[in-house]
Amino acid sequence: MTQLIEVLVLGLLLGGIYALAASGLTLVFGVMGIVNVTQGAFLVLGAYLTWLLWRVLGVDPIVLALVTTPIMFGVGWLVYQLVIRHLRDAPKATTVLATFAVGLVIVGGLGMVFSNDFRSVTPAYADRAFHIGALYVPEARLYGCGVAVVLLLGLWQLLTRTWLGRAIRAAAENPDAARLAGIDVVLVAALTFSIGTATTGAGGSLIAVLYPFFPATAYVWISRLLGIVVLGGMSSLRGTFIGALLMGVAEMVVSTYVSTSWTTAVPYLVILVVLLLRPDGLFGRRERRDVAVAR
Amino acid sequence: MPGRGWAHGVIRVIRPRIPALPAALLVLALAATGCGGGGGTGGGPIKIGISLPLTGDLAQPGKEARRGYEIWRDFTNAAGGLLGRKVQPKIVDDASSQKTIVTDYQRLISQDRVDLLFGTFSSLLNLPASAVAEKNGMLYVEPAGGAPEMFTRGFTHLFFAQEATAPHQADLLAAWVCGLPANRRPKSAAYVSQDDPFAKPVVAAIRPKLESCGVRTVYGLKTYPADQTSFDAVVNGIKASKADAVFQGAVFDDGVGVIRQMKQVGYSPKLLFQTSAPSESDQYAKGIGPKNTEGVFYTVSWDQHAATTGNAKFVAEYRKRFGADPAEDAADAFATAQVVAAAVKAVGSLDQDKLAAWLHKNSVNTVEGKLSWDRTGAPTGRFLLAQWQGGSSRLVLPPDLATSKNIVYPKPTWQ
Amino acid sequence: MTGRVTGARVRRGLVVAGVVAAVAFPLVSHDPYWQTVLYMCFLMALLAVGWNVVSGFTGYASLGQGAFLGYGAYATSLLTLRTHAPVWWFVPVGGVVAAVIAALLGLVAMRLRGHAFVIITIALVYISQLVAINWRSVTGGTNGLTLPLPIYGRDWQNTPYYYALLVLLAASVALSAWIRRTKLGAGLIAIREDEDKAVAIGVNAFAYKLVAFVASALFAGMAGGVYAYALTFIDPTGMFDILFSVQLVLAALLGGRGSVWGPVLGGFLIEFIDEGTNRLFGGGQVHIVLFGAIMVAVIVFLPRGIVPSAERLLRRRRERREGRVDQSVDLRVTEREPHRPPVTGRTLLELRDVHKRFAGVHAVDGLSFAVQEGSITALIGPNGSGKTTAFNLVHGMLRPDAGEIVLDGRRVERLPAHRRAHLGLGRTFQITRLFPEMTVLENVVAPLPRFSWRRLAAGAVSGAEAERARELLAFVGMAAFAGKRAGELSFGQQKLVEIAQTLMLDPKLILLDEPSGGVTPAIVERMVDRIRELNAGGKTFLIVEHNLPLVAELCDPVVVMAAGKRIAEDSAAAVQADPVVLDAYLGADWNGERVEA
Repeated sequence: MTQLIEVLVLGLLLGGIYALAASGLTLVFGVMGIVNVTQGAFLVLGAYLTWLLWRVLGVDPIVLALVTTPIMFGVGWLVYQLVIRHLRDAPKATTVLATFAVGLVIVGGLGMVFSNDFRSVTPAYADRAFHIGALYVPEARLYGCGVAVVLLLGLWQLLTRTWLGRAIRAAAENPDAARLAGIDVVLVAALTFSIGTATTGAGGSLIAVLYPFFPATAYVWISRLLGIVVLGGMSSLRGTFIGALLMGVAEMVVSTYVSTSWTTAVPYLVILVVLLLRPDGLFGRRERRDVAVAR
Repeated sequence: MPGRGWAHGVIRVIRPRIPALPAALLVLALAATGCGGGGGTGGGPIKIGISLPLTGDLAQPGKEARRGYEIWRDFTNAAGGLLGRKVQPKIVDDASSQKTIVTDYQRLISQDRVDLLFGTFSSLLNLPASAVAEKNGMLYVEPAGGAPEMFTRGFTHLFFAQEATAPHQADLLAAWVCGLPANRRPKSAAYVSQDDPFAKPVVAAIRPKLESCGVRTVYGLKTYPADQTSFDAVVNGIKASKADAVFQGAVFDDGVGVIRQMKQVGYSPKLLFQTSAPSESDQYAKGIGPKNTEGVFYTVSWDQHAATTGNAKFVAEYRKRFGADPAEDAADAFATAQVVAAAVKAVGSLDQDKLAAWLHKNSVNTVEGKLSWDRTGAPTGRFLLAQWQGGSSRLVLPPDLATSKNIVYPKPTWQ
Repeated sequence: MTGRVTGARVRRGLVVAGVVAAVAFPLVSHDPYWQTVLYMCFLMALLAVGWNVVSGFTGYASLGQGAFLGYGAYATSLLTLRTHAPVWWFVPVGGVVAAVIAALLGLVAMRLRGHAFVIITIALVYISQLVAINWRSVTGGTNGLTLPLPIYGRDWQNTPYYYALLVLLAASVALSAWIRRTKLGAGLIAIREDEDKAVAIGVNAFAYKLVAFVASALFAGMAGGVYAYALTFIDPTGMFDILFSVQLVLAALLGGRGSVWGPVLGGFLIEFIDEGTNRLFGGGQVHIVLFGAIMVAVIVFLPRGIVPSAERLLRRRRERREGRVDQSVDLRVTEREPHRPPVTGRTLLELRDVHKRFAGVHAVDGLSFAVQEGSITALIGPNGSGKTTAFNLVHGMLRPDAGEIVLDGRRVERLPAHRRAHLGLGRTFQITRLFPEMTVLENVVAPLPRFSWRRLAAGAVSGAEAERARELLAFVGMAAFAGKRAGELSFGQQKLVEIAQTLMLDPKLILLDEPSGGVTPAIVERMVDRIRELNAGGKTFLIVEHNLPLVAELCDPVVVMAAGKRIAEDSAAAVQADPVVLDAYLGADWNGERVEA
């Protein structure tokens, strides 16, 4: 019983951080209809930035999210202008290939700069934990989850309370109408992409404190983020949050009660099952799609 | 359209060269690299072909191996070379890719016409690379790659330049534990390993030995994948099993990760053994905190303080060049070169079949100690048992090579 | 025409020279290194050719192609190790195993489109890898499997693999070229261009995609067996490597997806780049950056790839050299009295209490109406009244939530669209949906009257079909455009071609979605004339149209919809006078003016 509670607590804390990491993917898909698999590489890039700044400045890595987030915003802006902008008319499947390729460039570049060794960010509290009876709550995970939730609430405020947020939501709901209403849809797309990159990068900062990472960690994250977002219905931020919590718990449950060897399979199985049985995810709206009912 | 005669004519004309359209493209694509081919026999230097994982997942050991090979080259040339000829290793990068390593060794053999081959790192790369060497009848001594599968293929030119294959790495440790008086012996043990062909057999082989002297298995053997970075579940499971002793097949980061997680959950076993992680001295101590290294067991093929053939000189040179203690991987590469050089000296030629035949019959003294092989090329010796003591690693067994008389047991709890 | 002949001759010459060089190479050079490099080229090329069948022809981009190599490699290796028979025996078996797995995966994955399909193929590679890692008793887990070492002598050590992979490459190219020429290929390209449209003209998209998926896996699987033997060792990370799939996708994109030879060229280029950069810079990270960058550059700057871009350039130049052929639409209109076919009194189509909801909107709400055989029935109503939804329900793009649709006495509401097409239902679209990359003639020939395996293998444009297609094009006045690519036509011209395309299946009932929308008056007049002519010949029409004078002139009866229901049905004149109808159009410019679409 204690073990089960422990698993749930650890899974939920992890899920909170997953939610921040996955929010970018949801946002970009919702507004631009692009499955941006570069997000995995952005996350690891955020982690490396944090590691570098932590080594150089000696500032607390979680606080460093304040610095890495604007940098990652800039990275997102750059990638949008260099690549994504040109994909507006490309078939959807091709955009996935293109963003995968951008991810390769980032992963390979990180490997060239930082080599392939594992890096870990270890502030004083990295290996400490609060002990409550038989339970333990790792400090880093608690702080990380807290910051993630605060940032997500900020993102939520941005989307619901500001002009930009309304523009983003309008562009997501109906790009043509938004254009008629005088919204520069291209600018909104660029901003959305950059915000999405920034939140994922912030997620990377928090992950850096929890786990060691190396460039190829990006591939694991691609699948995890996709699994979360597919579960949450692709374009719903709320769905993504709940999907992330479920993913965190599911991974903990599988690694504890099934086998660690199968933990990596969890996101893929989620993708497989959800896409086949409930393509709109658990929380996605059932949207109108005049598609052929082939078989 | 040209007829038959044309085709024949062309073929006859270009026979000695690389023919036709694709070849022209190849030459074009590779002209810049200056691939020359050409024979290497006669008075020139002895060319030695090596492909190492200098980039990619296995870059860490790959780079260390290069250091070992290069130090050997400089020693050998300074001492007048082999058979009176200079040695000239050609080291290429296979990027930790099986696909690339095959073309690499193929090219070294057929294009660069190297006289000798040295092996590469990890079983995963040595398996396909050794097959290329065997197909070409080339002697292939490997500095790593102790997975049992290596030696079940009936190869005649393959030799492993360490003391033992993976399943026998921890023989000394198992014997020592079983030799403890019953009241001091751990009552229960947990076994966990990265799913790695070299790490897992080590831990798997300890288990039946300890069970036979009454140490109950309360957890495992469980494996986790190579890219695992979160060890909550593993460590929670071990903690729940209340094991006295923990045996982990740890490659590197997983070893650090498990100990950090043990600190978090507040669990410290009486005995902790990890396969190779603790041998990465500086990084390991930094990763878990220097004080927490006290009492951790691991096995090594080599120790920097051991009084073995050429060891003192090798260690001194490594420190001089790189400003750090040598890594085991560098020493393994150095030993590989020592093995090949000993065979060449003894046979007095570069005849690959004779070199292999000689190694099957003889033993060689290296920085690791004396090595000898059975007919499959598997070594017949025993690994050394090491332990972290007072912030540095010490050999504790076997007694004749031990650099510390004392064995720390039980392990102190985490700081 | 001479330019074309020369181009074809040049290509044939290149192919013959390449084949001769490839076959002769091992006989003149025993160098095992170059044989290795070349057989890796063959491997990459044949995988790219396979990928091209499912992703280039059909448009389903997959990142899972590399996994078929792995299935074949594992199947061949396991059988060899269990039976101790020679490896070569099991190479074909490896291909069959890969094809069977492809069929099973296809049953699952081919239900998805666009990005969902790519995502699931990525997932399949990793799941395959995980299964290979964890199913230790069979696959040996991370230890992998080691195959017996072949001894063909030093000089010939790689020659068997070289020829085996060369033969497989040749077979893949032959299969790919054959598919391209047949009905199967035409159907796959139709699916790529517009899957819904393809289904609407009778293509059983699911079966087609499945066949393509299996075809793409067959030779990849066989190659896996050969490759495993050449390596003598396989393991999960090496065989199920996403980066390997990325490389072969890049090869196909670079060479040119959708073309037969593009992926072959791409395979060679990528392998040379791989080996060349390996020697220049070492491998690893530089490779990853390089391949990522090339892929981005190709997608952004050269989306068609080398071969199709070159062909396009050559075609343009030829066209410029030969000058434009005078092409015009035949706009002649037959002068005659409106003539109606005898009314049979049979009901051809009937909707009974049909419902369809979308996220809270009741788009079609208990709709019932009937279309009599021989009539030209109009379906009109204000914007948002549910006309197009009703059309999509009849035609099969949507399924009703409730209610019955009866076509010629048969319940069809659960049948897929292509089956309804086979039962005699044709349709055009509001925004025309021709296949832009196909010629006008190919577009008209594309519809399929039924699904049969034998038909898949038939030539894409057979003589009899081409003749009939030409007749139909002449009928709509587009005969002069037969060889032109559909994407280059004007909107009105496309509408005429789409009508000809619909007629190819000789449908009983033709649904026209706003035939006059966005079309010049001259073409509208021609279209009306042709509709009358067809109607006189016995064809029944159901037309959604906003141009009410046109409706009044052409149609009887007129069914009026509002808010998802039928509110009136009568002659055009009677409907125009109906206060209920006027009420529904409230505010809209009724009385003869066109209502804005």
